[in-house]
This record gives sequence, C-alpha cells and structure tokens, in this order.
Amino acid sequence: MNFSIILSKEVVAKNTVTLKFSFDKRVYAGQFAMVWTPGKGEIPISFSHTGDPKGITIKNYGDMSAPIVALNAGERIFFRGPYGNSFTKPKDGDYLLIGGGSGIASLAPMISKNAHGIISARSMEDLFFLDKFEKSKVIATTDDGSFGIKGNALDALRTLDLEKFQNIYVCGPEKMMKGIYDYIKPKNIAAEFSLERPMKCAIGICDSCSVNGIQICKTGPVFGMDSLRDFTEFGTTRLMLSGKRVNI
Amino acid sequence: MPSIRTKIGPISLENPFMLASGILDENGYTMKRILENGASAVVTKSIGTDERTGYSTPVIVELPYGLINAIGLANPGIDNFGEEIKIALKGNRPVIGSIFGSTPEEFVNLALKMENYGVNAIELNLSCPHVKGFGSEVGSDPDLVEEIIKELKSKINIPVFSKLSPNVTDILSIAKAAERSDALVMINTVRAMSIDIYARKPVLSNKYGGLSGQAIKNIGVRYVYEVKKETGQQIVGVGGIETAEDAVEYIMAGASALQVGTVIHKKGIGVFKELSRELEEFMNHEGYETVSEMTGVALS
Repeated sequence: MNFSIILSKEVVAKNTVTLKFSFDKRVYAGQFAMVWTPGKGEIPISFSHTGDPKGITIKNYGDMSAPIVALNAGERIFFRGPYGNSFTKPKDGDYLLIGGGSGIASLAPMISKNAHGIISARSMEDLFFLDKFEKSKVIATTDDGSFGIKGNALDALRTLDLEKFQNIYVCGPEKMMKGIYDYIKPKNIAAEFSLERPMKCAIGICDSCSVNGIQICKTGPVFGMDSLRDFTEFGTTRLMLSGKRVNI
Repeated sequence: MPSIRTKIGPISLENPFMLASGILDENGYTMKRILENGASAVVTKSIGTDERTGYSTPVIVELPYGLINAIGLANPGIDNFGEEIKIALKGNRPVIGSIFGSTPEEFVNLALKMENYGVNAIELNLSCPHVKGFGSEVGSDPDLVEEIIKELKSKINIPVFSKLSPNVTDILSIAKAAERSDALVMINTVRAMSIDIYARKPVLSNKYGGLSGQAIKNIGVRYVYEVKKETGQQIVGVGGIETAEDAVEYIMAGASALQVGTVIHKKGIGVFKELSRELEEFMNHEGYETVSEMTGVALS
C-alpha cells in the first residue's frame, strides 16, 4: 500500500472533487488506483492527472467514495497501483473523447488542442472538465436537458462527422458504451473503450470483473473494437459482487 | 517421452495441474478459458446454499512471497450457479464443484445440485480460514467431517475430495475422519494478517485472511508427506506451487495431482502450459516415465 500527502483539493462539480498528490511512478491515461480509506473500504478510481502531481477525480456516490471525497489537503491518501493497461497515445490529428458520468475523469489526461469531446451527465451540476477543451470542440449532454443537448452521448455522437477523427476514446456506463460500440462498428473507425465492472482484487485473480474470461483489471480496462467483438458478455450480462449473473 | 497424465480417484487428468478453488473460478467463461489454456481441471469457487456478497474491500494484500485474501465466501448461491458450470463444461475437461456448508444435510443438498449441474467431482471446503460457522470451523471437528462424508458417499455418485486446513492442531485426526473421501486436498491457506503501519490498521476489512503462495509451499509439502505416510490416502497437493520443481516436491511427498492458483497473479494463465512443459522436461531428465512412479518416492 502506498500513501501520499494530498497537495490540493478542488470541487469540480456537485459532490465531485479532484485530489492532487505527489507519486513518484509513471502513470498512463486509462490506468487506475485502488484507493483505500482505512477501516472503511477500497475502490478503483482512474487517474485524472498523470503528470506531476498526479490526481484523481471522484464523485461521492456511496459509503466507499464518501470518505475519499471528504479528504482534505495535508491528509494522507492510501492507495495501491497504478493498475491496468492504458489508452493508446493519440496520433497527430483530431481525436474524440467521450465521457459519460464520471468517465471523463479517466480520459482527462488526453485532453489537448486536438481533442474533441462529448461529456454526458444527468444534469448541469454533474458536468465537469468541459472547460479543459477548446470551447468549439466540446458538446455537453444532460439527461434532464438543463445544459447542452437533452439526451445522451450517443445523441451527440450522431451529430458529428466521425471521418475526421483518428481515434475515438470512450469511458462511461457499460450500457452507454455498448450503444456507442454498436453505432460505430459498421463505420470501421478505430475506437477504444475503458470497461468497468465490480472489482475486488484489481490484480487479476478474483474473477469479479472478468468479461469472457478476460480480467478487466489486468488485461484491461482499455479494449479496442476487435476485443469487444469477442466479448459476448459486453453490454449483456455481468456478475454482481456475489458472483450472481445479471442482465445489464 | 514421459507421460504427465495422472489420475485422482476415477478421474483421468491430462496433466497434474488443476486450477485451485477461489482463483478465477466464479465466471463460467473464465473457467472455460483456463481449461482451454492447459489446466487439466478447474475447481469452482466455493458455493453455498445462499447468495453471499462476501467481505467489503480490501479483500487482498499483495506480498513479495504470496497473497493474503479474505474474500469471505462470496458466491451466488447454488441455485444461481448452474449456468456458470454449463459454460465451464464447454472447456471439455473436468469441472470440480467446491461447496461449503455447516451441516451434513446442507452439504448433501449442495452436492446433489452440483451433480445435477454435471460436475465431475465435488470438493468439500472444510478449510476456509476466515468465515465464522463454515470452512475450518466445520473441518476441525473430526466427528462432523466423518458424518458429512459418510452422508455424501451414500447419496451422490461422483467422487468426493476433501480440502483440509493447515490451521488445526492435529491434521491426522481430520485426515482419518475424511478417509472415505476419494482424495484429500491439502492445504488451504494459512490464517494470517497484515497491518499497514502508516494507517495503523489491519489492511483487510475482515482483519484476518488466508496466506497463499510461495510462503506456504513448504508447509504444504510437510502436510502432504505426513498425511500420505500415515494414511496412504490419495492426495492432491496445493499451496505455493510456482515451478515444476515445486510440483515435483509435492509429488515426491505423496501427491498424485496438484492445484495451482496464486502463481497466476505472477505469471498469468500461461503458467499451466509452462508447468506441464517443465514437468515433462524434469521427468525426461530424471528418467521417470509416469507421474505415479514419482508419487511418494521421498517417503521410503
């Protein structure tokens, strides 16, 4: 287990904060850490900042995340990792980042002047990192229509000419990603998806996060179109923390 | 060329290396993939009567010489596990259903359902070191162990393996109580703990867990040797096997087959083929034709 002292804390959206800390290890966009609150629990969180200092951006959505969101500058943050593979580095030319919910956090290290973005959230107050993009290159969508397009990421994607993108990077709820995968599959465009499943060990042995025999925590979380084609479980069924199979 | 085929009870195995219970054996697709990648059989995650979420995270501690885990018998419950078995059986090699319970009736009920799902054998978890009322709490009571196995042998038609705990004072009395099993599986993890000195707290949410991997290999070898010597029972050796040399040590102590798990953390699932290849090389070098020729040679 590592620990670092939190250098800064910034509220970026409702119940959502970015915590920055020094960590002397290379971290690549798409990788995650298992962040531990002693006595409370441990959860996987993507790195939203991979330079120096490192950072995570986390939303308070329950008992495990609340004590992390409550941490303040000067306090210790305990974590293990970095774990998982990473997104392919964008080539020259334009590329598209699609983040649903907190998904934009793991794509954030790839935001540059060539990056276009679609960020979707439930409501205006849940949106974050819009300001990191050039204004003309980002589309926001909200479920309730309080900001941007009323609808989801796929609704925004349908308004874009995808031919101009070298690559598309997607992170968000699995149902949303399946919709995007199905939409771009016939178009023959390179795309990478960061998958998320209930995760316990993060080191490829407990089988909680597996998809068709592949461990998301170790081989993934980032998979290309070819891998997803073989994943019959992607967007259809998953195992709960007990191991019970349920429909997505 | 030597043959690395072996047999445990009536079950023929392509090689001695099965997947141990508790590692990558909750999802049917994962078990199928492991069978397709060289494991001679898989043992499922331990399944009980009711669905259990298990302990909250952290459930694992990584150490330089092994892992400590306290998953807490997370399982979907026997009635929700049939589909996973069905998928795993498409791997066309034996699937062994691991079960845990607290009474003979419960074990029988679970075993009958597993048999009905099509598993090739049952492994009794008499040894999980970190859940109250199950596992080693059952497995440290010789009378209860004897009764469970007697009941099972009279009610099911597939072989029964008993996985024993090293966390007991007298393993021989338990091994003798389990003598009606078709084989003994030894050893389960060793009860352990890790404290984060900067957080000043145990790392695992359950505080206690089970140590596996390299650190426990020589404990396992000793138990296999001792029990083989005293009982002559067929034994499946498990605990810290990382190389063919480790495997041979267990075999020479008396094991007829082996299980591996924690090493997958280090080497990935390619380890099954690697172990088989290395074992074949060792046998070739040392002039052994069969695994049974090597079994227990260190005992005499």
